[in-house]
Amino acid sequence: MNNTSTPSPPRLLLRFFRWYCNPGIQYYIEGDLFEMYDRRLKQSGKRKADLLFIRDVLLLFRPGIIKPIQPNLHPVNNAIMIKSYAKIGWRNLARNKAYSFINIAGLALSMTCGILIFTFIRHHLSYDNFHPDTNRIYRIVTELHRDQIAYRSCVPAPLGQVFRNDYTFADKVARIYTEQGVLISLKEQTETVKFKETNGVAFAEPEFFEIFNFPFVQGSPQTALTKPYTAVLTESMAQKYFGNNDAIGKTFWVENKIELTITGILKDLPQNTDTKTGIFISYGSLLTYDPWLAHETNGWGGIRDGMQCYIRLQPNTSTAEVENVLPGYVTKYRRNSKNIHHYKLQSLADKHFDARYGGAISKQKLWILAVIGSFLLATACVNFINLATAQALKRAKEVGVRKVLGSIRTQLFWQFICETAIICAIGIAVAIGLATALLPYTNTLFNLNLSLNLFADPLLIGFVFALWTTVTLLAGYYPAWVLARFQPVTALKGKATQQTIGGFNTRRTLIVSQFAISQVLIIGMIVIISQIHYARNSDLGFDKEAIVMIATGNATANSKEAFKNEIARTPGVERVSICMEAPASENDWGNTILFDNRSEEVNFRTSMKCADADYVPTFGLELIAGKNITPSDSAREILVNETMIRKLELNNPDDAIGKYIIADGGAINAPIVGVIKDFHDKSLHEDIAPILITSYPEEYSNYAIKLNLANATSTIPAIEKRWTQQNPDQLFEYRFLDDSIAKFYHEEDTMLKLIEVFSFISIFIGCLGLYGLVSFVVNQKTKEIGIRKVLGCSIGNILWIFWREFAQLVIIAFAIAAPLGWWLMNTWLQNFKFQIQISPWVFAIAIISSLAVALLTVSYQVVKAAVADPVKSLRVE
Amino acid sequence: MKQYQLGEFEEIVMLTIAILNNEAYSVSIKDEIEARLSRTVSMGALHTALKRLEDKSYLKSYAGEATTERAGRPKQYFELTALGKKALRHAKETRDELWQAIPKTVFPITLAH
Repeated sequence: MNNTSTPSPPRLLLRFFRWYCNPGIQYYIEGDLFEMYDRRLKQSGKRKADLLFIRDVLLLFRPGIIKPIQPNLHPVNNAIMIKSYAKIGWRNLARNKAYSFINIAGLALSMTCGILIFTFIRHHLSYDNFHPDTNRIYRIVTELHRDQIAYRSCVPAPLGQVFRNDYTFADKVARIYTEQGVLISLKEQTETVKFKETNGVAFAEPEFFEIFNFPFVQGSPQTALTKPYTAVLTESMAQKYFGNNDAIGKTFWVENKIELTITGILKDLPQNTDTKTGIFISYGSLLTYDPWLAHETNGWGGIRDGMQCYIRLQPNTSTAEVENVLPGYVTKYRRNSKNIHHYKLQSLADKHFDARYGGAISKQKLWILAVIGSFLLATACVNFINLATAQALKRAKEVGVRKVLGSIRTQLFWQFICETAIICAIGIAVAIGLATALLPYTNTLFNLNLSLNLFADPLLIGFVFALWTTVTLLAGYYPAWVLARFQPVTALKGKATQQTIGGFNTRRTLIVSQFAISQVLIIGMIVIISQIHYARNSDLGFDKEAIVMIATGNATANSKEAFKNEIARTPGVERVSICMEAPASENDWGNTILFDNRSEEVNFRTSMKCADADYVPTFGLELIAGKNITPSDSAREILVNETMIRKLELNNPDDAIGKYIIADGGAINAPIVGVIKDFHDKSLHEDIAPILITSYPEEYSNYAIKLNLANATSTIPAIEKRWTQQNPDQLFEYRFLDDSIAKFYHEEDTMLKLIEVFSFISIFIGCLGLYGLVSFVVNQKTKEIGIRKVLGCSIGNILWIFWREFAQLVIIAFAIAAPLGWWLMNTWLQNFKFQIQISPWVFAIAIISSLAVALLTVSYQVVKAAVADPVKSLRVE
Repeated sequence: MKQYQLGEFEEIVMLTIAILNNEAYSVSIKDEIEARLSRTVSMGALHTALKRLEDKSYLKSYAGEATTERAGRPKQYFELTALGKKALRHAKETRDELWQAIPKTVFPITLAH
């Protein structure tokens, strides 16, 4: 029959049928299937016929038609055989120590990464999943529509309250305002104990504890936070402040502004929540702490970071219904603002992953990590396959003998799988040990506190078991299949050669893919290093060296000024400025302005930097038009940057001089006196914002001190002494500006460390594989080397023969890795508004380093063979 | 009685084989049942039933001719064995007895035979 002219049923299904069908009746049924297929083909076409064929085959898969389990021709005691496999496997491992070591090391390293990555990913996926009705909990977030859209996780403070009063969509609404880095003081009879809480305090409504499952140890969510000036601490916080004494009823101060009485103790919050603070204060206390924020109508004027609103919707309420009513508040309360708010609901499940709203890590990153982990595992499996097939020849005789003695192919197959399983099991054991040992380091790297408890964690046991079986099957399948396939006659005659085994090309392909993976990682590593280096060292447009920032404390404007002068007199201080923040800072004050007596606000966000006249010289900012502001105790003059000029659509900086700007809701009304050159006011991820600088003493919160580094060691303590005298109830803190700026790239640093580790491991594993392959090839070619030497070949020549072969592989790998790496890193660089060009050097380094590593590995083996006496190698028969 | 175990579908298959008389192989049996009883018969169900019946020695089979549309595979023809016939008859008799035993009031309308 001509197969090409007649359409045939799906091959895969046919093969499946032949595989399971009882051979006694297979022919007849197959005939039936063909007949039916033929008939349907004529009646209703190929598609229908194919589908019905598939259905028939699947329906035939039932007892009575499936072949019975093969009658055991050689009754074998399986338990004993498995014991024997284990024994033989163990002996093999013990005999080929180097080979076993390479295999186990490779597998263990990659599995360590696998386990760590698994723990990490699982931790992140479990964020805030322990609250009741998690799927009904939402956070109201804000989209700010101006010339660009910005996303904020905070909302105007009064929104939660009016929403609660006006609508019944939510069964619970909870506002919570978190303020970070606050000063907590305990005022005891004799002295004041001060603490700086970086995780801050949260002003929370009692409903917060009804929505979120943070159980109380003492007190109850219904009563604990109802009155103003009450607070709830977590157990460890209470322990920190009050030791083992009962904390209930005790008091503490926040920022020396409000005194709070403790009415409840919470169990420590779990690791996997984004709520990090350990101090919750009743929302009513906010009225004293921050009157603007707590004000019922003023609060609509803007949004403050940290002011969040959570709601739990009634069952069967859709988010769209709620989002439909929210714009009503914008028209009602923010009618004239050009900064148009759009309130959206963000589900709790997305909170941890949506970077736009400050999510800690995107799901995409977790996936990338998972992919890298699987890549490493794949390289290790590839390695194993490589080495095992290279070694296969050594075991040809064993296979021959076993086959002659009656082993069938399946038994041999499972024997070798069993050996792989042993190797994997050892690998896993080592990996678990390594992972446990390395966990503290990864914890520091990611600022986590994870633990690895194999025996108490069913999911981890499951993962380890799955890892073990997958790796065993992936790594063991091909070698076992190759080995089990040997013809006993050829094997026993010793005629089994690499040609009969085949697979040399398979192994080359594997080596190429390994090197491609490591080269991609190397390219990634170099690009990230260069970008971070660029970000750290590029000219930010202002002076960041030797500048130390010191908080002003709660002093009045006059005493700040006086203290500034005092600092200026301290030996070692070159210049001082009082300001809100340094030129580049994560905090900024967004402001909507009116320009040049126009009645409409501009449609972009401006960033306000409040600072005195010394700001420009202290930070070395460059004026390109006009003059610096003059010292003043109010906002009398304004400086703007070049971006502002562009955004205002002025052609010439000089055009701006003398024009008036109204900002801070009318509180500032002053002329522009100068234009400064653009400087980076954020990390290089972001564009330069339009900036205003004006003297506005109410907002000053830092002294920026330019030091003469030569005697900085004595200057800072001197300042500290004076500062503490002036602010006895505050904690003295200072930070160097360049350190704060380096922190902008914290995430990239972490990523860099990770990729360094990953590329090292992948190169290491790749080398192990290459080493195995080379040692095998060299063994094969012992005679060739001998003959060449006899005929006058030098060691160099012999090396060259091998180098050429393996250099080819590395270069092919490079051809794959270079475009892939370029594309990946180019995509990554899009995260930065200011980025480097990927230079050709990156690729040169990638290929040169991998070539060097590959050739070194090759040389070690080849030189060993090449220096051997040809007499010996030729005598071997 | 226990010795003639016969399921409903098995009975239909055997009756159809009897009807087809020497022309009974799986596809024709399937077609016949589908035509007469207007129910669909899956290949799987039919083959299992045939195999079970053969194991019970109610049927015997022999290989027939191979045709092009069967891609050269032979047909497997089935016929009833003496035991099979006995089983069928037994089944019918038990049914009839049961019908007879039903009081007339239960089925007031006489059933056509």
